[in-house]
Amino acid sequence: MASITATQERNFRTCPVTSLKVHLPAQKLVIANAVAAVVFLMIGGILALLIALTRWEAVHLLPADLYYRFLTVHGTVMLVFWIVFFEVAGLYFGGAVLLNARLVKPGLGWLAFLLMMAGAVMTVATIFAGKADVMFTAYIPMEAHPAFYLGVILFAVGALLAVGLFMVTIVVAKMEKRFTGSVPLVTYGLVAAAVIAVFTLLSGAITFIPAFLWSIGVIEHFDPLTYRILFWGFGHPAQQINLAAMIAVWYALATLTTGAKPINEKLTRLAFLAYILFINLGSIHHLLVDPGLSTTNRIFNTSYFMYLAVLASMIHAFSIPAGIEVAQRAKGYSKGLFQWLVKAPWKEPGFSALVVSMVIFGFVGGTSGVIQGAAQINLIAHNTLRIPGHFHATVVAGTTLAFMGLAYYLIPLMTQKQLVGRKWASMQPYIYGGGMLLVALGMMWAGIQGVPRRTWDIAASGSTLGAPAYEGSGVTLAVMGVGAVIAVLGGAMFIAIAVSTLLFGKKQQA
Amino acid sequence: MNGKELAMEKNKEGGFQAPGTFVIVMFFFVWFVVIYFVNWAMLSGTWAIR
Repeated sequence: MASITATQERNFRTCPVTSLKVHLPAQKLVIANAVAAVVFLMIGGILALLIALTRWEAVHLLPADLYYRFLTVHGTVMLVFWIVFFEVAGLYFGGAVLLNARLVKPGLGWLAFLLMMAGAVMTVATIFAGKADVMFTAYIPMEAHPAFYLGVILFAVGALLAVGLFMVTIVVAKMEKRFTGSVPLVTYGLVAAAVIAVFTLLSGAITFIPAFLWSIGVIEHFDPLTYRILFWGFGHPAQQINLAAMIAVWYALATLTTGAKPINEKLTRLAFLAYILFINLGSIHHLLVDPGLSTTNRIFNTSYFMYLAVLASMIHAFSIPAGIEVAQRAKGYSKGLFQWLVKAPWKEPGFSALVVSMVIFGFVGGTSGVIQGAAQINLIAHNTLRIPGHFHATVVAGTTLAFMGLAYYLIPLMTQKQLVGRKWASMQPYIYGGGMLLVALGMMWAGIQGVPRRTWDIAASGSTLGAPAYEGSGVTLAVMGVGAVIAVLGGAMFIAIAVSTLLFGKKQQA
Repeated sequence: MNGKELAMEKNKEGGFQAPGTFVIVMFFFVWFVVIYFVNWAMLSGTWAIR
């Protein structure tokens, strides 16, 4: 057993509510990363409103150059910076606080934070300066300023350092006997996310380092298809990190709000393992309309391998509500089929965030993803608004809302302040989720009508060739626009509650 | 008690412990099948086979 020094023990406080031993340096890092996450969420959210009000043809707010610029920032900030900063906060929470353990070498955690912050600021500033209107995907041969690629590389190095610190913290916690047996399920899910993060970030490095060298003229030619394969070796697993982390958060919220426990924890842990093993192979669904890849390759990967990862999601989709039902029935809510659900704590923001997140992620995001990932369907779905419709249902209504739900518990626990605006927190998941549902459905239906994605003006005004009529898209894009306004309102509510709690929350007893 | 023990404790005769969830999951399965079928039906109408 590794010995624990008296100095190390002095750096803890005991939470009076959860009895968790909170390592004070870990607490500071959790707060720093969470605050950074919320700042980037705010930037991405403001831009989301402006972009949605531009795609809503009746409003058509932004001029063309700003539309593409803001879309690049929005995609990068939301898909990478907001989510990864929050996940790093979650890693330190799950690896240290949940295990009653110390974060090993907090100095490295601060170095990671600084690298991530420097990279994020560099990337965002470069895009806002008009030097990188290349979308989040930055497909070669579109060329951005070298600072764009360098910023992403710095961020990835910082994130990789944070992931390494998390893993070492768990190993040391085990050696110091801070916990017995296996790690708790929530931490296990975060470990799965961290393992995926390692090969994701390495893929990112082998994509963006050559891209950076190409942008400064060291490499003369970078094959576009090679870039795209390498990029999606980073891009899709990055979403699987979000998925594994989100599901870990779902289990945490189910336990926190109803006392639920998985009815078969071994199967649940096996499902997390399936994510690690199969998702990278399924990532080829991003390249279904690319020339140069064989049909066999595409269909095999998007069939068998993707379905094994989807099977894991099906396991969690049963396990979490079943755990809630068993816990609720144990409390006496066992009349009929659904009393357990009717009597569930719907006013508790963590519970409502969990359910809304699961329903929209599963019924809308998950089904559309599997369907659009088939080669034949993808031929007509690719590059239409169906694709953003799918990933707004998964990443935004799913992952982001789940993270918001957890934040309502994490913020008081870490800052020792009472949540400000509890009544608003009760309503927020419904407002945000309802708005995002309209956004996702509006986008998907517009995409079915043929409306392209990443297009400022679908009427192609001023062009001699003209554009299709996209009949009915006036209504569907309006649904998307109205949904975006509601969702941004819900997002603003979350940010207001989080910031108010941090700045003005009543101090709880230490 | 873990989830399995809680479930068995609640209903000592055994039997299915989460019937409500089973119904919800079946509803999801039917939804999935319908959406899948509708998408493929729409695809089949996109290009006529002559």
